[in-house]
Amino acid sequence: MPRPEAEPVIEVRGLVKRYRESDRPAVDGLDLTVRAGEFVALLGPNGAGKTTTLSILTAALTKTGGTVRVAGFDLDTQAREIRANIGILFQNPSLDLRLTAEENLRFHASLYGIYGYRPAFRLMPRAYREQVRALARLLGIGDQLFERVEKFSGGMRRKLEIVRSLMHHPRVLFLDEPTQGLDPVSRQSLWDHLRSVQRTEGTTILLTTHYIEEAEGADRVFIVDHGRLLTQGTPESLKVQIADRYLLLDAADRGQLLRDLAGSPVTPREDGLLQVAFDGATPQALLARLTVPLTVLRIHVPSLEEAYLELVGREAAGGEAS
Amino acid sequence: MSARNEANALLAIAARDLLIFRRDWGILVFSLFFPIAFLGLFDGLIGQNLAAGLPFNFLQFALVGLVGCMLAQYTMMNVTSLVQERETGFTQEIFVAPVSRFSIVAGKILGGSAMALLLIAPFFVVAGAFGAPLSVGLVSGILWVAPLALLLGGAMGVLLSGIFATSPKAVDQAVILVMFPQMFLSGAVIPVSHSTGLLGVLVRLMPATYLVDLMRTVAYRGTAVYGSLQLYAPGVDLGVLLVVSAAFFVAGTLLFVQWEKNR
Repeated sequence: MPRPEAEPVIEVRGLVKRYRESDRPAVDGLDLTVRAGEFVALLGPNGAGKTTTLSILTAALTKTGGTVRVAGFDLDTQAREIRANIGILFQNPSLDLRLTAEENLRFHASLYGIYGYRPAFRLMPRAYREQVRALARLLGIGDQLFERVEKFSGGMRRKLEIVRSLMHHPRVLFLDEPTQGLDPVSRQSLWDHLRSVQRTEGTTILLTTHYIEEAEGADRVFIVDHGRLLTQGTPESLKVQIADRYLLLDAADRGQLLRDLAGSPVTPREDGLLQVAFDGATPQALLARLTVPLTVLRIHVPSLEEAYLELVGREAAGGEAS
Repeated sequence: MSARNEANALLAIAARDLLIFRRDWGILVFSLFFPIAFLGLFDGLIGQNLAAGLPFNFLQFALVGLVGCMLAQYTMMNVTSLVQERETGFTQEIFVAPVSRFSIVAGKILGGSAMALLLIAPFFVVAGAFGAPLSVGLVSGILWVAPLALLLGGAMGVLLSGIFATSPKAVDQAVILVMFPQMFLSGAVIPVSHSTGLLGVLVRLMPATYLVDLMRTVAYRGTAVYGSLQLYAPGVDLGVLLVVSAAFFVAGTLLFVQWEKNR
């Protein structure tokens, strides 16, 4: 978790994107602030505007309105400086399948001006060769470095794209659904590596994902829908803020239990248990009031998924009602 | 980003195209087959049946025109591969790099130019084998004007890519539709100096007319036929080629970037 006073590295104010053929904006007045070294997740259903937002922040897509600053540069006037300071993992693969893994990396390194282009790996500077070998080994594609990418599995291609996106040591790394199509082992190794990059290099990471468990690992989560920011916070604070936290209780002396719970919001459930909502991080205060021996005690702490579904469900219901 | 970095990126883009070209056996086979079919056809049919009374060697005449047009076409084809690369997602990687859009497109033209020069070599071998008189002056004349052919072809490719950025099939068809009339109306294989009426207008509208004219002017300098095959003064040809190429290059690049930024 970065220091709270770290400088903002992504600042978005009133971002709007309206596609020509669409009658409603894909992004509708979005505000975001991400601090240096943070790992944030943009979470939302399909069509929420996540990829559109990311495309605008990476200067790959024009915006309709609003202001954007990334890595200290203004998108309107310093798009090239922004590009030099960011790394991107696109939702759709962007490798040249006809080239080898190393040729793809060499091409990227030359495009970003990290190393001068040479027509063969052995002619490239030693620093390049060492960097490429080390990164490839780290992600487990060291043996396939000189094979054509068309022979790679989906997971290997994704790993290669990650190696590539980190070659120029970007200040901000944008990941658009990075683990889509990866098996659980590959996903885990990918996250281990990205976490280590965030820790050791202080890289800011902005992720869009459908996997809520990936967002659980973020420092902060932005939940968006219909191009608007619904809420934001740490995964823990969102759970507290959005979803109900409650106890499920029962006792042989149900009458005494109800008397002990007087003043608390108690809801009888179909399964016969009493559901009692509690405030704060723990139910300690509530439990301390009970004098009756309990036959059932279950603490329900919501997951981020529940919080997310609750919030997006509320939005959908609100949208239908209006 | 310094000029050095821009040049480095441009070189990397061109080198990548050459690398892919080297691995594409289909193009290599085509590059050998095409001049045999084309020059053999013209030498056999037109040369033997229609060109008997001409004051110049028809095969040599056709070679100069064809080389000019083919250099432009090969470069154009390589540049329009941007549209296929857009379809496969690869242009995303290129266009998010901190490099000028013009350098990216210039890199495609440079790569296409190198490929075109390699692909054109068999034309000279085949023409020589069919008995076309190939003097040093003729070949060097062609090579002197070749950069303009490559520039024109590249710029036309950029414009087509900008117009048909969303459809690889459409851009492939457009290359054929653009090059086919250029080949015949520019005087590359059939003299057009006496064309009048609508055909005369079309001849003047074809950018390749000025390319082929300049190439012949330079290739035939110092020979007996110099001047008799010339349509315009070299300065006119050069001016038209530079203005048209620059306009196509800028307009095409801006159009393509606009598509790319509004995916």
